[in-house]
Amino acid sequence: MSVQLLMLRFIIRRLLITIPTILVVITITWALVRLAPGNFYTGDKKLPAAIEQNIREKYGLDKPWREQYLRMMADVLRFDFGTSLSYPGQSVNGIISRTLPVSATVGILAYLLALAVGIVTGSIAALKQNSKWDYASMTLAMVGISIPNFVLGPILVLVFSLMLYWLPPSRWEGFPSRNIILPVITLSAIYMAYIARLTRAGMLEVLGADYIRTARAKGLSETQVVVRHALRGGLLPVVSYTGPALAFLLTGTVVVERIFALPGLGTYFLHAASNRDEPLLIGIVAFVAIVLLLMNLLVDIAYAYLDPRIRY
Amino acid sequence: MRAEIYCSHKFRMANVYWKQFLTGLALISLAFGAISCRVLANDEEFFGKTTPPPRNLLRYVNGAEPESLDPAVSSGQPEAHIYMALFEGLVEYHPKSLNAIPAIAEKWDINNDSSEFVFHLRKNARWSNGEPIDAHDFVYSVRRAISPEVASRTAALAYYIKNAQAFNQKSVFVRDPATNQFLLQRDFAAAGTPVSEALSQKGLAPNELEYGATATSPPSHTHTEFHQSMHSPARLVLPADEKRRKNLVESDAKLAAAVNGKEFVRVVGEDIGVEAVDNYTVRVSLSQPAPFFVDLMAHPLFRVVHRKTIEKYGASWTEPANIVTSGPFKLKWWKPYNELVTERDPMYWDVANVQLDEIRFYTSTDHPTSMNLYRVGGADALINHSVPNPWLDVVRPKKDYMDAAEAAITFLLINVTQPPMNDLRVRRAFNIAIDKETYSRAKRTTKPLSAFTPTGIFVGYPQPKGESFDAELARKLLGEAGFPVTKNSDGSFACEKFPVQGLSLIFATHTSNKAVAEFMQAQWKQNLGITIPLGNMESKTHMVAVNKLEYKGFALRIWGADYMDPTTFLNMFLTPSDSGSGWWDQKYVDLLEEANHTLDRQKRYELLAKAEKYLLDAQPMIPIDTPSVNFVKKPYVKGMYPNPASLYAWKFVYIERDSSKWDYKTPSLSD
Repeated sequence: MSVQLLMLRFIIRRLLITIPTILVVITITWALVRLAPGNFYTGDKKLPAAIEQNIREKYGLDKPWREQYLRMMADVLRFDFGTSLSYPGQSVNGIISRTLPVSATVGILAYLLALAVGIVTGSIAALKQNSKWDYASMTLAMVGISIPNFVLGPILVLVFSLMLYWLPPSRWEGFPSRNIILPVITLSAIYMAYIARLTRAGMLEVLGADYIRTARAKGLSETQVVVRHALRGGLLPVVSYTGPALAFLLTGTVVVERIFALPGLGTYFLHAASNRDEPLLIGIVAFVAIVLLLMNLLVDIAYAYLDPRIRY
Repeated sequence: MRAEIYCSHKFRMANVYWKQFLTGLALISLAFGAISCRVLANDEEFFGKTTPPPRNLLRYVNGAEPESLDPAVSSGQPEAHIYMALFEGLVEYHPKSLNAIPAIAEKWDINNDSSEFVFHLRKNARWSNGEPIDAHDFVYSVRRAISPEVASRTAALAYYIKNAQAFNQKSVFVRDPATNQFLLQRDFAAAGTPVSEALSQKGLAPNELEYGATATSPPSHTHTEFHQSMHSPARLVLPADEKRRKNLVESDAKLAAAVNGKEFVRVVGEDIGVEAVDNYTVRVSLSQPAPFFVDLMAHPLFRVVHRKTIEKYGASWTEPANIVTSGPFKLKWWKPYNELVTERDPMYWDVANVQLDEIRFYTSTDHPTSMNLYRVGGADALINHSVPNPWLDVVRPKKDYMDAAEAAITFLLINVTQPPMNDLRVRRAFNIAIDKETYSRAKRTTKPLSAFTPTGIFVGYPQPKGESFDAELARKLLGEAGFPVTKNSDGSFACEKFPVQGLSLIFATHTSNKAVAEFMQAQWKQNLGITIPLGNMESKTHMVAVNKLEYKGFALRIWGADYMDPTTFLNMFLTPSDSGSGWWDQKYVDLLEEANHTLDRQKRYELLAKAEKYLLDAQPMIPIDTPSVNFVKKPYVKGMYPNPASLYAWKFVYIERDSSKWDYKTPSLSD
């Protein structure tokens, strides 16, 4: 069989496995919301029994659980996640399509920033191994990995908003706007640091490899060796990291969205879980799961292109 | 394979660089410390910038994202703020006292025992689309709000209206098909119930007798057929659910005999005691006297909504493209979880007195985030309780910090159904072993509380005193209950026989709740030698545990007023199942009932206080404090008063540009 056909077979197989995986994820989510104490209408004060009954009847919660589960599954299979319980009148699909652009904008910008800074620093560190550049950048990377974003975010706000009055401390004003700068930096810090570390490690391994020696022996310039040959192999760890990282970044990060009051997917994810908003939670979980699985598939495909040794 | 390489790298790196890492961390924390000292140690008068916005707009951080724009749906404060901008009722909350002030109704007459109200509507009230608002709109709005189909969470507030509870609970009347007569409740009432009948339940009397000389304009059209039916004795109401009804009927031989051969008629919206006497007169008949009911009518549940829009669009009537509103402001745009912008409605009847061009309600659930936005001048006022506890030292001395009593109480609910807490002496001991004065001093923003109603909220209410701190007596009481407290050689106490197993103090996860619980725990340890474990629970889990009595010991609760009357607190123990403590006493219910049938306001207050005292003596809870409102608003935001429920009639709010007229302290609530 040709390589292309093998590849196609691999992709189709992976996509087919995705479907049952998603259904299992949805079922578990459904069961967990059901098992959690309280309902979307549980508030500070106990509702009179009759009022609770009215609500349960209105939303079909008085039906047997098997019936509710089957109805939910039937809706999901038609890609209709229904209407949010805690935001009556708002469809889950509508909420996802409205919030995804916000999360994705911040996430993609953060990842691009992380890639740019991370690869450059990582490469320099590897090329000048054990120099002061290497130590400085790797120390910074270590700090970046160690500082959680719920600490870094407020520090950035403190410096750039409250002391210097340069940037707004929170709120979403669309793209492009100055409001986006702090959340992007906050979000990218840890990825930046990780990518720098991964690039350095990958490059160090590759720089000692035979094919680099061959390239040098061919008389290529050092820039050509690094950019065309070393980087391609050295970035493999970064690529495998990109899949899950991008999936998480695209689908919103709860903490950063909260710190900067961004109307993204992560905000709604947290809200749905703490308010037992079953349709919304299932919708978001299913969506995140699909994105995650697709990203991993893309990574595996990209691998085959970057590393000629990998075969499927 | 990949994973293996990756892990080994991580491990090696960590070994090599941990020293650098520690150095870096130390540097960062030093820098952070220096910055925060510099930022926080300022001696400005106000917290942050005080430049008024260029236009007459208010940027208000409104906390959580509003659930829905339908005023019948939500019970939360963020939603109430938005409803108060978009929708108006017959009456509005006074910006300081929260008493009813005229809105769509210009004036109203109250009958002699506060069981019937006649509202006279102004003729120039308009919807945002220009159509006139009349009495029929109000009648429709109330019927809709409490219909079982809308399933409102706040519908119980309307249960005072005659037949409203039966309608909301989908109950049925019982009618004799031969005579068309309904069975009456009084023929089947348990012995000893109604103390006296409300005027609205008796036959019609001449206006002067029912409304007295105080009525500004005696209601005309008194003798409609509907009004006659309202003034007839209450009909018997049975559950609509056949199984439940059968059980109930079979348990009572007299009832079974009477029901036999009769037909069941579903209670419908047309049965409730709300009547459009003419296009601009509304009459509301209650099933019992409720002097506070006019104030309650300002609640979002009773605000008017546009019938044609709702019938045309169904659930999507609140979408910005469809919505028609009745309040001083109309919806401009809504970006969910970001901002909801309202603008002055030119159709509003009092538009000349609406001072703000726009109100922008910002969604932000993180308090430090909101505070930062306020500080840099990105917001003009914040929702109540937005100043985080650790910030109080810095923010409280500022002139834009709002400090006033709140219509709420903090208390520990006790599960009285399980030993040892079923023993009154034990409950008393746990109450008086807590030094609430010291607690409130430590917490700084609250007032100590020994009663079950907030201190300093209900003017003229003779709030009873509960027992005060007395550690000696507490130990004695425990000894009497069979759990002697002994003194150790080091001066501390021990109570070895007390069964702490399974007991706990549960609270909903929140930093400030944790602090309260820890203080209580420390007090009991210090004064009784008993250590009650703490149970930190996710908030909904906590609520379920309380509602279902699935806790043993104590549950920390905060209860906010729904309306400005002591009964909003005292009614918590009205039914056996609603309080979450397991305590219920017919005598207590009778005392409340008696008070509610008393016409004289002061006399009624005294009877309520008597009921409260009875409750305090039974001790199914331990009062802790009356919380304070705590938020910040810029000094140029005027007309916004820190009233006990933090509800603002927005048309009175304005931006003052003359700094000599700014608020340089918490504005007073008394004129």
